[in-house]
Amino acid sequence: MDVIIKTNGFNTLYVHAAGRLDLDSAVEYGTKVKDAIEDSDNAITEVILDFSQITFISSFGLKIILELYKHLKSQDGILKLKGVSESIMSSFQMVGFDKFLVFE
Amino acid sequence: MFKTVRSKVIITALIMLTFLMSAFAWHTIISRMKTKQLMVQNYVYSIDKFVAAMDDRIIKSEDNLKGLSLIGSLYYKTDRSDELTDKVITRIFENYPETLGGGIWFKPYIVDKSKKYVCFYAFRDKNNNIVIDKNFASEEYDYPNQEWYKQIISQVTPKRNIVLTKPYYENLGSYTKMVTVGTGIYVDDELIGIVTVDMEINSIMDDVSKMKPIEKTLSMYKSGGEIKNSFALFGNYKDDYIIATTDPYLDGEKLVGHSLREIPWYADNLYEITYITYHGKKYVPFVKKMSNGMELIICIPKSEMFKDIDRFYSYIVIIMVIIGLIAPMLLYYSMNNYIIKPIDKLINIAYKIGNGEDIQIKIEKPEEFAQLASTFDEMTKDIKSITQERAKINSELSIAKSIQVTSLPNVFPAFPDKTEFDIYASMDAAKEVGGDFYDFFFINESEFMFLIADVSGKGVPAALFMMKVKTLINNISQIGYNPKELFEKINKSVSETNKQGFFVTLLAFIVNINTGKMSVINCGHNPPLIKRKGGKFEFLKLASNFPLGIFDDTEFELFETTLNSGDLIYTYTDGVTEATTKDNEIFGEGRLCTCLNDIEEISPTVIIRKVKSALQLFTDSAPQSDDITMLTFKYNGRGNVKNFKQESKLENYKDFYSWIHSACNEWKINKDLANKLDMCAEEIFANITFYAYPERTGTIEAKLNNSDGNIILEFQDEGIEYNPLEKPDPDINLPPEKRQLGGLGIFMIKRIADVIHYKRENNRNILTLIFKIK
Repeated sequence: MDVIIKTNGFNTLYVHAAGRLDLDSAVEYGTKVKDAIEDSDNAITEVILDFSQITFISSFGLKIILELYKHLKSQDGILKLKGVSESIMSSFQMVGFDKFLVFE
Repeated sequence: MFKTVRSKVIITALIMLTFLMSAFAWHTIISRMKTKQLMVQNYVYSIDKFVAAMDDRIIKSEDNLKGLSLIGSLYYKTDRSDELTDKVITRIFENYPETLGGGIWFKPYIVDKSKKYVCFYAFRDKNNNIVIDKNFASEEYDYPNQEWYKQIISQVTPKRNIVLTKPYYENLGSYTKMVTVGTGIYVDDELIGIVTVDMEINSIMDDVSKMKPIEKTLSMYKSGGEIKNSFALFGNYKDDYIIATTDPYLDGEKLVGHSLREIPWYADNLYEITYITYHGKKYVPFVKKMSNGMELIICIPKSEMFKDIDRFYSYIVIIMVIIGLIAPMLLYYSMNNYIIKPIDKLINIAYKIGNGEDIQIKIEKPEEFAQLASTFDEMTKDIKSITQERAKINSELSIAKSIQVTSLPNVFPAFPDKTEFDIYASMDAAKEVGGDFYDFFFINESEFMFLIADVSGKGVPAALFMMKVKTLINNISQIGYNPKELFEKINKSVSETNKQGFFVTLLAFIVNINTGKMSVINCGHNPPLIKRKGGKFEFLKLASNFPLGIFDDTEFELFETTLNSGDLIYTYTDGVTEATTKDNEIFGEGRLCTCLNDIEEISPTVIIRKVKSALQLFTDSAPQSDDITMLTFKYNGRGNVKNFKQESKLENYKDFYSWIHSACNEWKINKDLANKLDMCAEEIFANITFYAYPERTGTIEAKLNNSDGNIILEFQDEGIEYNPLEKPDPDINLPPEKRQLGGLGIFMIKRIADVIHYKRENNRNILTLIFKIK
């Protein structure tokens, strides 16, 4: 899975990926984001996940999202999701993630 | 207790012994009585003999007296030669050896007026020489004044009677007790003197007291001595005086010459009396009256008389008692040793052999039991070999049964790559090999044939025939006849080779799996049940043909119909409908139909399983009398089922989801449902991949079924037992910091799937998810 991670030079990380966030790709996606946070010169306080091209999220994907959320939270950061499709939104709602995730 | 051989034999033996002892005792009593009588008779005989001897002696002394009397008269009448007379007397005495002495005594002055005493006397001296004694013709002796002389002379008559003197003591020095017998000398009826013969009493009495039963006849009772404590009375009954008595309680010497009445026990009728009691003792009196009026009475103590006999019989009684005591003990001992113990041993060993122990019986004695034991051994060997043989036959039969069962297709799913239909069949053979069978196979690329049949009869012949028919059907089916032709050919072949008169009921279906077109033939078999999609199970009305193997030229009538996706056919043999309870109630078609319609899940496997458990519940523990065979076919139609089977590896996930995607595309599943399927499928795939096989890789099988407006997703794996439904749900209302990372997947599946069902079967986890297509 191709994951494009950009930074605004300050404290925000912009993550773009396309396709399925599932057993096959979720772990890679999560690792890449975490690595980018670690590798950044500045302290990352905001991560924006671009979901506009994400077609499917499985329980593994959800698990990674929760993991990232917790990771950022521990660093007083914030996780934002952008362009979430209706079907993926329903998945978030099903497991109650909509209550704490920030959607743009 | 009284039913054992031991007690019976003992009781019989005791009864016999009692009889024997009674007979013996009776015999003993009688013989004792008889012996006593014999004994008494012997005494009588002995006494008779003795008395006869006495009589003889008296008669002889009479002869003696006659001789002396003749000499006396001759002396008186003729020359009166003293010398000659002495010689003649001596000669007479020599002829009568019993005589102690005797003589001729003339009355005073009768021979010679100048001589007062004229007498001749001779006696036996100690050396048994006859001596003439002249001393009696003297003043000193004065024989006419002697008591014996006076007694005799006063009693003699011219009839020459014999006169006995009372016993007296010879006073010439020896003082022996004497009795003198005498008679008169008459010349011309004038008494001129007397003649006498002396007899010694004591020797007679001695003889009496020494008298005993004749030894020869009673030698068996011989005790070696005389009969003790017996005593005798010798008396003159006529003149009533005692001659002699040896009565130990009386002074015999004093009583000599006294009246017999002075004897206390004496009675006139003594010979009539069995016994007398005298000084506290019982005596048997033997009375003998002699010719001259003398009487001899011998009293023998009863106890002495029968002492030997009583002792003898008391020995016999003791011996009998000992035998009576020992015999049962001996009997018991020998019976115990020779009968009961071997029997016990045999029982014990038979019991052990019955328990499977390998024992040889060792009995050497008695011979019968040794023989029995060896026979028993033989029998045990025979039984063992028979049992082994039977076990062999049984194992061969069970092999035959398993060959029969395994000759039927029994791997399910039978055609995993064919999604057009599901088929499931089972045969539960009864104890014996039977004639039920089912079969299914493709007869060409598109036509699938399945059949169920029942060969008449049971056992190995039916099973062999069944194998033949099964092979025959399979072979002929491949040739390519049309259905009608095909079954007529099959029937012909079966009939032609059927020498044993078997017949086969058959229900066969040929289905075109692409079009659902189906030909059915029923040759005398139980009608099938069909459930059309959305409907209920009902019996399929079919024309029934003759069973196979009866007529070789039968024409068959076929039934044709078309199956639609979701249609289901249930076939069975009579083992199902004729399953019987203990009360002989049969399951029947009605119950079968109800049972089938109560099943919610329409899968061939489930249907057969449910019917089986219904049958078990119905028959309870009654033994299965017939094969129970069922076959269920479900027509899915073309492309309604998709199968997936791969190793449980993560890298196969891509293949897996593209399999789901392609199915969703093919079936035009809306995106939302496709997503849901995707989500659930992934989670289960991951679960199986990560957890089902902890130390190895196994398989993961999945099946997608589009049927009746549902998408059924079924997973199977052979991993460790795991029911995901038992996992508790995570609390989705918790703040994110507190939430666990895991457990989401199962939770989601439960929310997404319309029906979710888990079962563990044949060591497989089977998870079924049903999604409704809206």
